[in-house]
Amino acid sequence: MTLRLGRHAFADGATLMMAIVNRTPDSFFDKGATWEEDKAFERVAQVVAEGAEIVDIGGIKAAPGVEIGEAEEKERVVDFVARVRESFPRVVISVDTWRASVGDAVCAAGADLLNDAWGGADPELVDVAAAHGAAIVCTHTGGVTPRTRPYRVEYDDVVRAAIDDTVAYAERAVAAGVARESVVIDPAHDFGKNTFHSLELTRRLGEMVATGWPVLVSLSNKDFVGETLDLPVGERLTGTLAATAVCALAGARVYRVHQVVETRQTVDMVETIAGRRLPQRAIRGLQ
Amino acid sequence: MSERTTRVVLVPGVLALLPEYAGIEDPVAELRAAALGAVGWLGREVTVLADAQGARVAAHLLDSTERDGDEPSYLVVGNGSAKRTEKAPGHYDERAEPFDAALGEALKAGRPDVDRELARELWASVEALTELPPAASGATVRVDYDDAPYGVQYWVMRWEG
Repeated sequence: MTLRLGRHAFADGATLMMAIVNRTPDSFFDKGATWEEDKAFERVAQVVAEGAEIVDIGGIKAAPGVEIGEAEEKERVVDFVARVRESFPRVVISVDTWRASVGDAVCAAGADLLNDAWGGADPELVDVAAAHGAAIVCTHTGGVTPRTRPYRVEYDDVVRAAIDDTVAYAERAVAAGVARESVVIDPAHDFGKNTFHSLELTRRLGEMVATGWPVLVSLSNKDFVGETLDLPVGERLTGTLAATAVCALAGARVYRVHQVVETRQTVDMVETIAGRRLPQRAIRGLQ
Repeated sequence: MSERTTRVVLVPGVLALLPEYAGIEDPVAELRAAALGAVGWLGREVTVLADAQGARVAAHLLDSTERDGDEPSYLVVGNGSAKRTEKAPGHYDERAEPFDAALGEALKAGRPDVDRELARELWASVEALTELPPAASGATVRVDYDDAPYGVQYWVMRWEG
């Protein structure tokens, strides 16, 4: 399905790199490295140069911590979105927020996509996306409250739950007026899930792809990789790329990542093995 | 009423020209442009002189061009050595360059005189070249391409006579 993300359209089958840009002092991977606005802006310039099609700007870390109110969240992201929009007109700007009021402000400032990592916790977010002609990411969290860790969460079938919830959310977005080609679904690895759940979602990602909605995966350096390999944050790239390869083979379309170059190479390699992409340049044995 | 001339074109049997081996970037873009230009100059009906792989290349080039002339036409598929450099398919052989130079000159004259044993040793695909139609002999020749970009000597030539 052709994907329209705000101002930008992508051909059938195109795979997209969504680079994480944190305007936070405390996110788990970068630990505040891009907390200062100029550092975050440098990060945007870097990932755009590395070929990221999307930047995902977030003002609140996912894990529990100091409460950040709407005003503070807006202060962190709205003007920054406007600055990125002006400097990088061709990049898709996504904002990682669950709040409709923040979504409204960032869309007015130039955002194309609202990445609701918390599964529709604020029911008006879809109305905001519709009003601005923006796209939306519909995630599965199992209904947990934003910024909480999973605690003894279990599912009869985690993949079934992820499909049912994200597809229902997607249909709700379309009913609210979001264009059908502007809706992406995300099983949300580790959100409301233990490691076994995230592994099963990875193994059975093809079932989500089969819904026909474009699938986003957010695997980058997450705890399910860390627990699987018993490795701390900072040593999870290889495991992340292995999970990425499995999702790519299953047909994921969007990859939310810290490491753009490595993920792009992994996805291109797998897409080419799968016969959905041509080799860049082949002459060996064909001269 | 003027007599119809015969048109003959030579292209190399490069498999990278085939659509089943296409990449995002074309590693033989210049060769392809030259080959399509020359093949497009042939008449509607074309006799192909080639081995089995070369015939596939010829068929693809013919399918990719629109030709409406009625000149008797031949498409010959062959090339020089594959041992021009260290990285050439057949590795480097110092005899390759003089072999190709001599063969190139003979082709321009339309009278390829090929040492078949040496051609075999140098991995040159010359079978069809030895069947070059007599019309090429002494005909007007145009060289559209003459290079060995991957250690294999390619020519695109056209003769009219």
